[in-house]
Amino acid sequence: MSSTVTRSDGAAPGAPRPGGRGRDPAGRGSDRLGAVIYRFLRSIPAWVLWLMVIIWSVPTGSLFLNSFRHRDDQRASGWWTSFTEGNWTLENYSDVLSSGQQTGGLWQALLNSFAIAIPATIIPIAIAALAAYAFAWIPFRGREWLFIGTVSLLALPNQVALLPLLQMFAGGAHWTIPGTETVLTLFPDFSLAGTATAVWLTHTAFALPFAIFLLHNYISTLPGELFEAARIDGADHFTIFWRIVVPLSVPALAAFAIFQFLWTWNDYLIALTMLGAAGENYPATIKIASMAGEFGLREHLLSAGAFVQAGVPMLVFFFLQRFFVRGLLAGSVKS
Amino acid sequence: MAALWGAFIGVVISVGASAALFWGTHRLFALVERRWAIVAAVSGAIVGAAAGALLSGIRSGPESEPLLAGSQLVWILGGAAVGGLAGTVAGLRWPLSAARIGAVQSRLRALTFVGPAMLFVALGLIIPLLRTIYLSLFDKRGTDFRGLANYGEIFTNAQSLDLSGWSGIFGSQLFYGAVVLFALMAAIALYRGRRRGVRADFSPGTVGIGLGAGLLLSFAVFASLRGTVMNNLWWVVAVTFLSTALGLLAAVIADRVKRESLAKSLIFLPMAISFVGAGIIWRFMYIARPPQKNQTGLLNALWVWFGTLRPSSGGAWAAVAVLAAVTVLLTGLCAFGVRRRQTAIAVGSATAAIPLLWLIYRFVGPGVGGSVAGPNDEPIAGTILFVQESPYNNVWLMVVLIWIQTGFAMVILSAAIKAVPADLIEAARVDGADERQVFFQVTLPTIVPTITVVMTAMIVLVMKVFDIVRVMTNGNFGTQVIANEMWQRSFTEFNLGLGSALAVVLFLGVVPVMGLNIRRMQRGE
Repeated sequence: MSSTVTRSDGAAPGAPRPGGRGRDPAGRGSDRLGAVIYRFLRSIPAWVLWLMVIIWSVPTGSLFLNSFRHRDDQRASGWWTSFTEGNWTLENYSDVLSSGQQTGGLWQALLNSFAIAIPATIIPIAIAALAAYAFAWIPFRGREWLFIGTVSLLALPNQVALLPLLQMFAGGAHWTIPGTETVLTLFPDFSLAGTATAVWLTHTAFALPFAIFLLHNYISTLPGELFEAARIDGADHFTIFWRIVVPLSVPALAAFAIFQFLWTWNDYLIALTMLGAAGENYPATIKIASMAGEFGLREHLLSAGAFVQAGVPMLVFFFLQRFFVRGLLAGSVKS
Repeated sequence: MAALWGAFIGVVISVGASAALFWGTHRLFALVERRWAIVAAVSGAIVGAAAGALLSGIRSGPESEPLLAGSQLVWILGGAAVGGLAGTVAGLRWPLSAARIGAVQSRLRALTFVGPAMLFVALGLIIPLLRTIYLSLFDKRGTDFRGLANYGEIFTNAQSLDLSGWSGIFGSQLFYGAVVLFALMAAIALYRGRRRGVRADFSPGTVGIGLGAGLLLSFAVFASLRGTVMNNLWWVVAVTFLSTALGLLAAVIADRVKRESLAKSLIFLPMAISFVGAGIIWRFMYIARPPQKNQTGLLNALWVWFGTLRPSSGGAWAAVAVLAAVTVLLTGLCAFGVRRRQTAIAVGSATAAIPLLWLIYRFVGPGVGGSVAGPNDEPIAGTILFVQESPYNNVWLMVVLIWIQTGFAMVILSAAIKAVPADLIEAARVDGADERQVFFQVTLPTIVPTITVVMTAMIVLVMKVFDIVRVMTNGNFGTQVIANEMWQRSFTEFNLGLGSALAVVLFLGVVPVMGLNIRRMQRGE
């Protein structure tokens, strides 16, 4: 801002543009008024931005305040009255975490969320890093179209694969040879439906196009001379990958890990589909969504529950925002 | 804790097994040069084991016992033995010529790197996609062929596509607002064109007015043409456009304020919150309680409070006085803009004055906000049922996603703005461009590709919107979208045919985006 203020003292912004009609400015008094008006106009955008910031923060802030209010207070008045009431409590949090009829049972759900999100983060990274290195540095026939084909699946909506995947997890995949009654089993029935394994396997498949895309973008910019030198020293692709590519790609790997962790932690659709009625395996998102659906006794726990579920991603967000942003930016901005 | 241990063991086993497999193939393929027969034997054994597994699973019908006697393990081991033997013989019989060693080796190496990923993509994405397309041509149990009947059902059903209200487009205030804005845009463009001796000259501001008019028009259309498909299109248009526009606005302003990172973090924060959590957060904002009671939702509380500012009360006159003062200031600003030939200032302040004049009229006349005059002229609160009142409840649900996605657009566009080469901007400044010209003629054209990327990413995301609708209305009150319809048909009614057809419709919606992405990648490579 300081630069714009000093500039408005000079002639540049107030004066007619060189390309314009070149009318003489009215007079000295009017010029000073013009400078004041221009300075006022220049400060408007900043006000607009801070207004936006307030509007964007109020919903989360009001949920946060509500989560510390007693049940009766929540039902009787809005959160803004709590500043004068000052009647805070941590009861909602202890209730929503403990398991029971009238409480949330969110502690177990949080563990379930970790059980889904951790494998669903680590496994795609390992698989995708290998593929990304090959797409970037191992020449083979059909490499380009295979890469483009894989990455174009980025836009594939999850919905198109959910039904067959659930059928496969629930009863295996079988193929009836056309014209006969003979059935071939392509994927055996491991009775995975309803387990966390089914959820993170699905997440892994859906994550790969983006993971390969992101890691390839990074790995392909590593200096090729480095690999050339290693190869002269007798290193093969496996050694190069493990000794050079992985250590150098830590920023990209971290960026994807954080992105994928938030994505799987916050996922609702895939868990809901793959877990079905297996309530003991529900992650936190399903738990709070079903609490929201009943409009009943536990309504006052909802704000605390939503905050517990959002707590982990918010911590990740505040401490690792840099990596998260890097993950988002990959591929969209050429720097 | 059991769940966590399960996850831990799952990670250890799968990562360990993959690493062992990987290392094994690594050692194996190192042998290609010297011990080709061993490689051939192991490859043969793997193929044989797979064939054995497949053979042992053949049945004469879906429910019957395997055709071939013997346990599965025996078949797999037997297949491996036979395959391994065949591989050894073949490897010894046809040794690899020196010329082909390199080619074979690099092919096998690429396979070990790319293979696992391709296996997951094929099993988890490609084959399920093909099967979904296949199922969409069958009936609800997936047995009787129906052709395209499921698609016909989607597009002829009044629930999913109801065009009967088309005449309502021309009755809505939004439509007339759009017409007025289009006329304004045309007038400004023609005026500017006459000054510069061309037929019409579109400045960035003029185009902005046109975009706003287009958005109003789309709202008029989508509020009249109803149904699941139309709702989905409404989501795509409104959320994509508004999130990108607001994100761009925030990115541009944040670039030149103090505490830029604080402002950006707070706008970006909703990105960390799940769609489910966001739905719950906004449910608290939208709560509508019976009018006699205290409102606990912020928006209805504000609405009711505005309603108490009746013309008879002092509050309304205070409001009118403030509004009138601001209007006078804006009029002065408009005159100033006209005198200095700064069309942006003149048109901007004139436009800002219009809603203020309207507010003054409302305050003096029928009143603002949610209340009606009671029998003794006392105000009685009236609330807005944000979630229940169709069709604009759709917009209130979209607000939730706009709230989340604006941060995404802002962060990416902000990075793009900062990546604009400084010497380009410096050169424009030296040529005498002011800040507005620098933005519209240097910065904006440079970041157009990034805006396209943001919008395509957003279209893909909004097309399959599910969580917010499911948590807030579950598709009731005329807010159904395709993804939620697909889920209900597939997983509560188990109508495989219709559910798959709805999924394919979603897929077809993103096919143009996929094409665009492929073209962009081909150009980039």
